[in-house]
Amino acid sequence: MGLLTGKRVFSVVALCMMVGLLLLPIVVALPSPAIGEEAPAVGDQAKKDGDKVEKGRDVYYKTEGIVVGAPAPKTTDGPKDYPRYNFESRVLIWFANQQHLYYGSFVLAVPIFCMIIEFMGVVTKDKALAKRYDQLAYDFIKISLTAYSLTAILGGILIFTFLTLYPAFFSYLSGIFRPVMHIYALMFVAESGTLYIYYYGWDKMKEGFLKWIHLSMSVVLNVIGTLLMFLANSWIGFMMSPAGVDEQGRYLGNIWHVIHTALWNPLNLHRILGNMAFGGGVVAAYAAYKFLASKTDEDRAHYDWMGYIAMALGVAFLIPLPFAGYWLMREVYAYRQQMGITLMGGLLAWLFIIQATMIGILFLSTNYYLWQAMGRMRGAEKYQRYIKYLVFLLACGYMVFITPHTMVMSPAELKAMGGQQHPVLGNYGVMSAKNGGINVIITTTVLSFVWYMRGNKVSTVSWAKFGNIFMGVFFACAYINIIWLAIYGYYIPANVRVGLSVPQVATTLSCLFFMFALNSVMMRGAKQMGPIEWGKISARSQYALIMLATAFTWMMGLMGYIRSSVRLFWHVNEIMRDNSPWAYTHTVGFAANMISANVLFFWISILFVFWLGSLTAKKVPVESKAGIPGSVPQPAASH
Amino acid sequence: MKALMSLGALIGVAGLLLLGGMIFDIVPSTTIRLVEGYMPMQLLFEVGCYVIGFAGLSYILNAMGMAIPRFWQGIGFWVFFLMYLKYRVYPPIPFSVRAMYGTVSLVAVFMWVSANEEDWQKFKQPIMNVLDAQTGMNKLLRYAYLFLLPILIGGFSYNAMMPKSEEPIELRTVHPAPPASTKVHGKTYTLQTSQNPYRVNTEGKYDQEYTNANIVEQGMGRLMKPNANPWDEKNQGYLKYVREGGEIFFQNCHFCHGDNLNGRGLHAFAFNPIPANFTDPGTIAQLQETFIFWRVAKGGIGLPNEGFPWASVMPPWEQHLTVDEIWKVILFEYWHTGYYPRTWD
Repeated sequence: MGLLTGKRVFSVVALCMMVGLLLLPIVVALPSPAIGEEAPAVGDQAKKDGDKVEKGRDVYYKTEGIVVGAPAPKTTDGPKDYPRYNFESRVLIWFANQQHLYYGSFVLAVPIFCMIIEFMGVVTKDKALAKRYDQLAYDFIKISLTAYSLTAILGGILIFTFLTLYPAFFSYLSGIFRPVMHIYALMFVAESGTLYIYYYGWDKMKEGFLKWIHLSMSVVLNVIGTLLMFLANSWIGFMMSPAGVDEQGRYLGNIWHVIHTALWNPLNLHRILGNMAFGGGVVAAYAAYKFLASKTDEDRAHYDWMGYIAMALGVAFLIPLPFAGYWLMREVYAYRQQMGITLMGGLLAWLFIIQATMIGILFLSTNYYLWQAMGRMRGAEKYQRYIKYLVFLLACGYMVFITPHTMVMSPAELKAMGGQQHPVLGNYGVMSAKNGGINVIITTTVLSFVWYMRGNKVSTVSWAKFGNIFMGVFFACAYINIIWLAIYGYYIPANVRVGLSVPQVATTLSCLFFMFALNSVMMRGAKQMGPIEWGKISARSQYALIMLATAFTWMMGLMGYIRSSVRLFWHVNEIMRDNSPWAYTHTVGFAANMISANVLFFWISILFVFWLGSLTAKKVPVESKAGIPGSVPQPAASH
Repeated sequence: MKALMSLGALIGVAGLLLLGGMIFDIVPSTTIRLVEGYMPMQLLFEVGCYVIGFAGLSYILNAMGMAIPRFWQGIGFWVFFLMYLKYRVYPPIPFSVRAMYGTVSLVAVFMWVSANEEDWQKFKQPIMNVLDAQTGMNKLLRYAYLFLLPILIGGFSYNAMMPKSEEPIELRTVHPAPPASTKVHGKTYTLQTSQNPYRVNTEGKYDQEYTNANIVEQGMGRLMKPNANPWDEKNQGYLKYVREGGEIFFQNCHFCHGDNLNGRGLHAFAFNPIPANFTDPGTIAQLQETFIFWRVAKGGIGLPNEGFPWASVMPPWEQHLTVDEIWKVILFEYWHTGYYPRTWD
């Protein structure tokens, strides 16, 4: 008892320390208007001295502020501003940045998964299942821990690369973000401390009140991680859509304006969802790899289940991702029309077609995995014969989604076509059709999920027949509404058309939430046709998971490149010009090769991380092994 | 159920015969016209009918004990789709897009035939039979593949590597990003915020909604709104400016852009690409009026670097028209096509 009390005290102290660490940067930040504090003082002095103080106008907020920073440097091509090796500096920074981002995303996403899975373990009444969830969460964080060190190392490499290859730019950026960068560093310390206590305290705090304390730590860990990401996002947000500075790039004393730029919030949301989907994909690929390498049925069952959970979590965040992306693009257009057109209609438009292709691959892989997964349930055969119609819907939606507005063709083909736009397919190349296409794809994915969830069950509620009819009609109406709105979009003003995406998204999300909820109610107490036979799934399904993860990785690389390229020849858009010899946009082919090289490097290095993790593999406690799938009812997470 | 499937089978057979006729040039592609205004949905609908038709056909043949093996179903559908894109859709689809669609359809066929273990076994059985070569025929086939596959791959490689004298493909940027502002006749216009001064209501005030309500109705034939006839000389305000814009258009622009604004004017086919088709939803319907103003004023030679390969012969109209005339002609283009200019509010 005494020991338990001691543990409790220790846990509470640990938690308080973490909260303290979390608050530390805020405390540090309070006087941090170091600059902001000086500013009024200067202002007061100015009042005394007359009009000696110079004022500037914020380029975005249009407010006036006292100039407290130096103007953005006007760089020249030479060793002073752009020292270099005998190589393209931009490619080096691209590589360092991308690798840091991959690992950063992974280590930010995995603790969120851990938090969710650990919570599921805590609230699950089935003890065997609860232990399995707990073990899964532990496995996740173990993978993340090694990756965390690599993230920090890559972050260091990135900073050194900036300092050595782009000193003028980095000096300007760090001058503007001085207080934020210190807070960032402190938060990193807080994140590390929390993570280590969370990981090493796992066994000490595995039951009762202590478990809740442990779970709270994961919340704290994720809050810190998310704030870290928000701060990092503020730098790229500033580079794309600067605020808080005047036309010469001089800081005007309001750090919040510098952070809270036009694109900051959409970037934050997009990155959170993207990281989660990416993290899910990587863990699912890890599980798939382990599944394929497994020698026993027990291992296969475990990794099959792990892959399923990771995939389900990843896809849960993938579904809203296109909508978050849509919001980001909308804000980009609102911020600068040229930027939006360069992205989606101009120079970078072809990269968006590649992006659409990757998004389609993600959803197709997900659907394919779910159909394969139905194979391990008795009773799911009844849905198999309808899969061809889902394939048809997915393929049509996909083809519309990837149709380019401006087609690649030879002059002879152009002449034969009789104009730049194809009179039939050209209609698929505009946003209205594409919104319809992607919403059809997502709705079909939801339908596949619903089929999977009821695969081995027969509803026993008295109103089951009515419920099934209602669900069928609901989905049919959803498809009709989505397609109708896509057509209607051609006949209305553009600003109204943009707004049409809202009812389309609402339709898709209604299917997701209402149908999931209805299905859950209908399947409560349902008759089981048989257990889910974990591990009895085709190898193709695991390749689908690997494909899912690779597509995520490739798409992240691509989107990062697009987002960065849209600044064209600016380090900081319209404020600080890039005068290096590499201030041009790479060809699509070069960019694709570079992204592929980054993806390849990441996967080779993460395999090394997985291998390292396996060296310290923790033996699964016997009692939790007893509950390993095969002999266990389906996991709660799946349904 | 059987009756429905029979109907589906009938549709499938009829569709196949029709497509066969188109492939062998017995039946022109335009036999079943792609109806303007409905073409994109018509295409999807036709493919949907084929899918249902083939499902019906498969069902009936199965019932008759003449089931088509899954392997040939998959391969057959894929080949059908490629043929459909090549011979049914007109004008011809560029190879790059057919390649994209072909790949997607191949993936879709794979997903279909391997969606469950039973189907996958059925699909790969003929392949396994050839690989196992238990019968004389399969042995022969295996030897044939042994020779044919390397030749085929070699042929593809040769074709890919062989220097060609064809014109290279182009990645043209049709709508490059405009500048933030443009100077025309000595005055600077900010593209994000400028407005067409002639888009006004009867009281002479700028009114987007009023003008939107008076444009030609879209759809087949494009119908003029009742009581919104710009050729009526009594009309004032917006409709009067549309008329004046129309006069300017027919004096200067229609030779290339056509009297129906579809890019098929008298001189259009002297150029490659032909002039912009304003009735296409991918041109002026996607753009702000100020974007059109900039493009009309600066012409092809005013395209920025992003507009590579600058395939436009449009003259810089600021050298021939006044600012007012440019705004009026833009007004007319939107009125006639029935499109609304893009706005950001």
